[in-house]
Amino acid sequence: MPANSVLYAKKGHVAYVTLNRPRVKNSIDQQLAQEMEEVCAHINHQDDDVYVVVITGAGDKAFCAGSDTPKSNVAAAVAGIDKPVIAAINGEALGEGLELALACDIRLASDRARFGLPQLTSGLIPVNGGTQWLPRLVGKGKALELILTGEIIDAEEAFKIGLVSKVVPHEKLAAEANALAEKMAAQAPISLRFVKEAVNKGLDMTLEQGLRLEGDLYFLLHTTADRTEGIKAFLGKRKPEFKGK
Amino acid sequence: MGFGIWILFNKMADFDTIIYEKQDGVGYITLNRPQALNAYNIRMRDELWQILSAIKEDDDVRVVILKGSGEKAFCAGADLTEFLTAPSPIVARQVRWERDVWGLWLGIDKPFIVALHGYVLGDGVEMSLCCDIRVASEDAQFGTPEMGLGIITAAGGSQTLPRVVGQAHALDMLLTGRWIKAEEARRIKLVNRVVTRKDLLPTVQRLADKIKAYDPRAVSYAKQAVTRGLDLSLERGLELEARLGYMVSSAKL
Repeated sequence: MPANSVLYAKKGHVAYVTLNRPRVKNSIDQQLAQEMEEVCAHINHQDDDVYVVVITGAGDKAFCAGSDTPKSNVAAAVAGIDKPVIAAINGEALGEGLELALACDIRLASDRARFGLPQLTSGLIPVNGGTQWLPRLVGKGKALELILTGEIIDAEEAFKIGLVSKVVPHEKLAAEANALAEKMAAQAPISLRFVKEAVNKGLDMTLEQGLRLEGDLYFLLHTTADRTEGIKAFLGKRKPEFKGK
Repeated sequence: MGFGIWILFNKMADFDTIIYEKQDGVGYITLNRPQALNAYNIRMRDELWQILSAIKEDDDVRVVILKGSGEKAFCAGADLTEFLTAPSPIVARQVRWERDVWGLWLGIDKPFIVALHGYVLGDGVEMSLCCDIRVASEDAQFGTPEMGLGIITAAGGSQTLPRVVGQAHALDMLLTGRWIKAEEARRIKLVNRVVTRKDLLPTVQRLADKIKAYDPRAVSYAKQAVTRGLDLSLERGLELEARLGYMVSSAKL
């Protein structure tokens, strides 16, 4: 994979995706957008060995400070990953950069991170999911405040309103994201994918429909070797060895 | 409905995984397998089904309190010893929907208050999420270990948990299987309040007493408006609220 605007690395069952344009705060251009789409497709379809994904930004200043190109939709590509995705937000997450973080499942932030959807200040609106994901995450009141004022908030405020799950000292972010990813990767990989699907799709359904979805996915898991292994390991008081089958 | 209810109550004496009692408008469900940390098993499912079916039809029960017996756990999850003898996925799925305990529970328009102590794991978390108000003692610990067992939640947790704590906190718990303590559970709104162990049962009793003093129909409609409204568009939710509100106020004329 010819990747230079996006770095892709794998350690165990965790894939690390790094936006790599540090001189321009990892902002999204057409090249980066295309590479991200390729990486996401690779993770979904070509690498069964990847159980969990971590996305971060190169350098010390920014996770991703926005987009230079109106046509990109990196957030949609990331939202399409069927495996758990952690955003390790190491600095500015602005505009499409924040929308990208919102497309992930869990957000960890460095204490230096800053967040905002300032599109309105340029006469635009968020078009990569910001107007939909943000209110679902932090509630309508806070979402509209952020979008209508274009205000930039710090990590502490982001934690307080529920935009990020945890704030850690800047130098500990990578280790913290790694530990979280490893913890997830120790679970059964198909269970991770199915529960992500059940939660994310289920929130767009009525409760009754969501319960049906969960039930059907649950019984589908009865056919996997990992289920037998997981239960036997628990009853035998040993660590399970999952194979994703 | 007298005869049917009479039969159900007679049967209730035979329960061995649950104690069900009724007093002054409050139904008390106690998970009662303390030697197994109140683990949920097939027997408990069947008994819960009977009790919930009775509560649904019983006008004498205005509020329900759910709790676990013993010192160590509200409910530490499912009894996994039954899992490897489960029938084929096709049969298991058929049984699941023929006796849909969780659908029955979530469809009862009476308030359920749950007292949570000690281990609250797997099905324990999910049962608490079928309730409306969750009170925990300081020693309570919460976790959803299913993904580490090669399964996923199956008592509605993937649906009820994000509806209570939001998508991000729900995924954090579900994807990592990590345990959280009572204080974090309160912060993410998994529980409404945290009290000392000594205050746990008195607190839920006070809440139940307060609620049971209100017009039962108004209580039931308020629960319906919120829980069913969350499944509707805002416009339809407002219509539902207005209709229920009209039914309550016109009944008082």
